Amino acid sequence: MIDTLILPLFKNGFLSPEANMFFALIMGIVFGFVLERTGFTRAQHIADAFYFRNLAVPKIMGSTVVVASTWMIIFSWFGWIDLNLLFTPSTYIWPYVVGGLLFGAGMVIAGYCPGTAVAGLGTGKSDALVFLLGVFAGMFLYFILYPFIATFASSTNLGVVKLHDLFGGNEYTSYLLTVALESGIILFMMLLQKLTRKGTK
Amino acid sequence: MNKHNHNSNGYWNPYVGGIVLGTMLFLTFAIASQGFGASGTFSRMTAQFLVDSDKSWLSNAYIASYFRHGDNALLNWTVIETFGILIGGFVSALLAGRFVFKADKAPSYPLSKRFFWAFIGGMIVAVATRLARGCTSGQGLDGMATFSVGAWIFMFTTFASALILSPLFKRQWNDEGEKS
Repeated sequence: MIDTLILPLFKNGFLSPEANMFFALIMGIVFGFVLERTGFTRAQHIADAFYFRNLAVPKIMGSTVVVASTWMIIFSWFGWIDLNLLFTPSTYIWPYVVGGLLFGAGMVIAGYCPGTAVAGLGTGKSDALVFLLGVFAGMFLYFILYPFIATFASSTNLGVVKLHDLFGGNEYTSYLLTVALESGIILFMMLLQKLTRKGTK
Repeated sequence: MNKHNHNSNGYWNPYVGGIVLGTMLFLTFAIASQGFGASGTFSRMTAQFLVDSDKSWLSNAYIASYFRHGDNALLNWTVIETFGILIGGFVSALLAGRFVFKADKAPSYPLSKRFFWAFIGGMIVAVATRLARGCTSGQGLDGMATFSVGAWIFMFTTFASALILSPLFKRQWNDEGEKS
């Protein structure tokens, strides 16, 4: 009997660690390329989302999630992929709440997040470089603070929790919820944009 | 991409971008078993730099966690992918004629102030990613695409915080948006 080829390749042993590292470089290049093509390399473009001037950023993020999870559900339906083998971070409730509040503050202050700043640096943005220097400094600060906040940082750990673990059902429930939430958020933001401004030209 | 798929500002239509990025994200998961990442790279680079300059940094539990499987924290999928992001951004900007060495800000806003806020924002973002185990890539895209509850907690609090604080930092940006 031959082993059936099931995705993901790496976790199922169909891809060597070296080949996976090479793939990382290729996928990074394509990711950076698309970030530039969609305007994610500009702090102004990202910040525009928070002022409802241009909703490209939430529109792209939302549709990316919907498209990626649609592929996953289709492949899972046919038994071509084992979704349980895909890496998902564990859910730490309070560290994520504090992390999110800080992250939003940092992002609205700087206009970048780590991935977009790396691609932005590639396009020559000097403020992206300064942002990344700040990121290094922040990492250093976190290491120094870690002994004092380690207990909080690993508190309220629920492990890997999917939407259907919370609301019941299975992966299909999660998928439908994800599509509903993402489209709902985009539509809601478009409505807010209409109310607060004249909308994008 | 034909002309129809472009916005007036020269960037791809957001939904075209989403279809391309979403398909790539799926391919990444299907092949590498994990999604995109970025913040971990900076944490690992900082840890590697500290340990290389003084081995006693290994007594820090967070730094030590990167050296459990060897003495090179940078032999990591996300680190290599992040270097790819830099190359990809460069190549795309070059081909599009958008490679310019300058800061992104409103023309009247002082450069020193823009740099100050970019640095402070970077520091806050870094600390946030350690608490949240990821950033807009690792949590926002990967976590949401794999239906993680934590990713939604992170993204909701991120947007709430950014929207509440946005009026305070408005002056950095061009009021007409990036098209003007």
